[in-house]
Amino acid sequence: MLSDIITPDLFAAALRMATPLALAAIGGTICERSGVVNIALEGIMLIGAFFGTATVLATGSPWLGVLVAVLAGVAISAVHAVASVNLRTDQVVSGTAINLLALGLTGFLMELWYGHPGTTQPIPTLQPVFGFGAMGDGFLGEVWRWINGVFLSHTPLVYAAIFIAIGTHWAMYHTKWGLRLRALGEHPRAVDTAGVSVARGRWVAVLMSGALGGLAGANLSIEQVGVFQEGFTNGRGFIALAANIFGRWTPIGSYLASLLFGFADALQIKLQPFRDVIDLPPEFFLMVPYVVTVVVLAGVIGRAVGPAQVGVPYEKG
Amino acid sequence: MNKKLSKILMVLLALTLVVAFVPACAEEEPVEEEETTTEETTEEVTVKAAMITDTAGLGDKSFNDLTWKGFEQAESELGVEVKVLESATINDYEPNLQELALAGYSPLVATGFLLTDTVSKICVEYPDTMFINIDGFFDPVPENVVGVGFKENEGSYLAGVVAGLATKDTFDSRLNDKNVIGFVGGMDVPLIRKFQAGFEAGAKSVNPDVQVVALYTGSWDDVAKGKELGLSLIDQGADVIYAAAGGCGEGTVRACQEKGALFIGVDADQYNTIANSGDVMLTSMMKNIDVVVFDLIQAMVDGDFPAGTMQVFGLKEGGVGLAPFHDFESKVPQSIKDAVDKASDDIISGAVTVPEAL
Repeated sequence: MLSDIITPDLFAAALRMATPLALAAIGGTICERSGVVNIALEGIMLIGAFFGTATVLATGSPWLGVLVAVLAGVAISAVHAVASVNLRTDQVVSGTAINLLALGLTGFLMELWYGHPGTTQPIPTLQPVFGFGAMGDGFLGEVWRWINGVFLSHTPLVYAAIFIAIGTHWAMYHTKWGLRLRALGEHPRAVDTAGVSVARGRWVAVLMSGALGGLAGANLSIEQVGVFQEGFTNGRGFIALAANIFGRWTPIGSYLASLLFGFADALQIKLQPFRDVIDLPPEFFLMVPYVVTVVVLAGVIGRAVGPAQVGVPYEKG
Repeated sequence: MNKKLSKILMVLLALTLVVAFVPACAEEEPVEEEETTTEETTEEVTVKAAMITDTAGLGDKSFNDLTWKGFEQAESELGVEVKVLESATINDYEPNLQELALAGYSPLVATGFLLTDTVSKICVEYPDTMFINIDGFFDPVPENVVGVGFKENEGSYLAGVVAGLATKDTFDSRLNDKNVIGFVGGMDVPLIRKFQAGFEAGAKSVNPDVQVVALYTGSWDDVAKGKELGLSLIDQGADVIYAAAGGCGEGTVRACQEKGALFIGVDADQYNTIANSGDVMLTSMMKNIDVVVFDLIQAMVDGDFPAGTMQVFGLKEGGVGLAPFHDFESKVPQSIKDAVDKASDDIISGAVTVPEAL
């Protein structure tokens, strides 16, 4: 039984399912580190996925679609930036408005452009980067099957997410931009006193989170399923927010937290066929990812403390 | 300056909300236009029928779209005034039903067993409005409600016969020798278990050693999850996958195309509804909801609406059945087609009773 559950596909599925969460979570991390709450990630993903898919439908080029998804994410997050940085509104309200707008706008544009609600026509997707086949039998063949299955079977954005996590983590702790970003969320007054614009720093951070949210949407639509479906992000933007907190507001932490969520989800899929062997109600299996979240949040990581000034608009005084 | 800006923002937010709700309102306009035209042309009181979707909404390419197809037919053939309200979340069921009841629509067609509790509650408040609940079960049935049930287990049995024989066969290069078939369910509820039970029984009736692996997405509209479950099933050796999971099924189709497996659709003939799926679409288990909905609306027009009853449609009544093999028509061996016909005859004659639960 264990050999049916612990397979290369289990870990490959974990990586696949973690990717959209991780991209959005890192976006959330950057945004919140600058002192701006971004609960609009769900909506940003949806907007990115829609415009990305629309571009692929029009041009046939998946990579152009990814680019447009990122730009669309940046554009919609600019709305959030204007509201929360310049106008100093409640950032949760602005984020909620974007989530509602995204759901309505994508549904409306589907009717307008494609004449029907629901799901778009299928689009060509981004293909796996490598295409290695099986190699030999015996022990080495088995080792290769694992390495190939777990690490080398993925599409480009799955790898990109890992590099983005490492890259932004490094930048956050080893560059001037990173230092300022962290200071923006902890003590914006200090940044201001040092002669650095708080508004500009926060704008850049919000736009970066929009880009990553758009990329997360592109992963779902252009890489994973090859269609856009209304509301198909299914709360992933909110799980990404949880992953950000759970990863203690660091990019690598966010990635690892997303990986844990992805793994828990992949594990419950693998456990489901054993409903009859493990005598538990079926709901138990669907519950696994959420139980893991609660247990880890409550027991393992301890108290998570966010940036001191997150959600507080900065008033130049 | 600040006050001015915050005013602008308020206007922007208000506009956002307006745009956010446009899809719900978009359906309203044509209906209103029609209302005025019918008033101008004839004095006759027409039937105003309306539909409330479940959370998958229109465009799910199966359940809700089929119901709407019945409405469109009623609109063009019977001249009935029609309207649809989509439910974005389960919290929309009650306001949607109330809004339509207040606007004078009757019958109100609520699609999905998830709406059954809401229908039971609202039908008391609006005794003059007729309600139809697709997949709803009532005991006793309120006197202004028709509960429509389907014997999905019977149709799924036929799908199981096809899958159970196909996985042993070699008519397609994607069929392997592992003797494993897969089932993808939406929410793990008795209704979907009924699909699974029929499917398993059908497969085992022709292939006793077949292994049926069943996975549930826990959702009707998570297409990415539907694909993951498909990939997982294929990894476990499944070469024919039957999905009864609403919009998730489209993801399973993509998994089949990517990793090489055959797919059996649900509710509608999904060969026609899921674009570019012909290369994997073996057949579909059809629930002829559109026919039933049309018949009930016609009954309303004719004045013999069977209020206060449960209407159950099985293989015998033509409520369920298998779609054509389409692109696989010439590949599927005659022996499989004969086995399906035989199973169908046996169920209709009562020689075979299909289980409703596992």
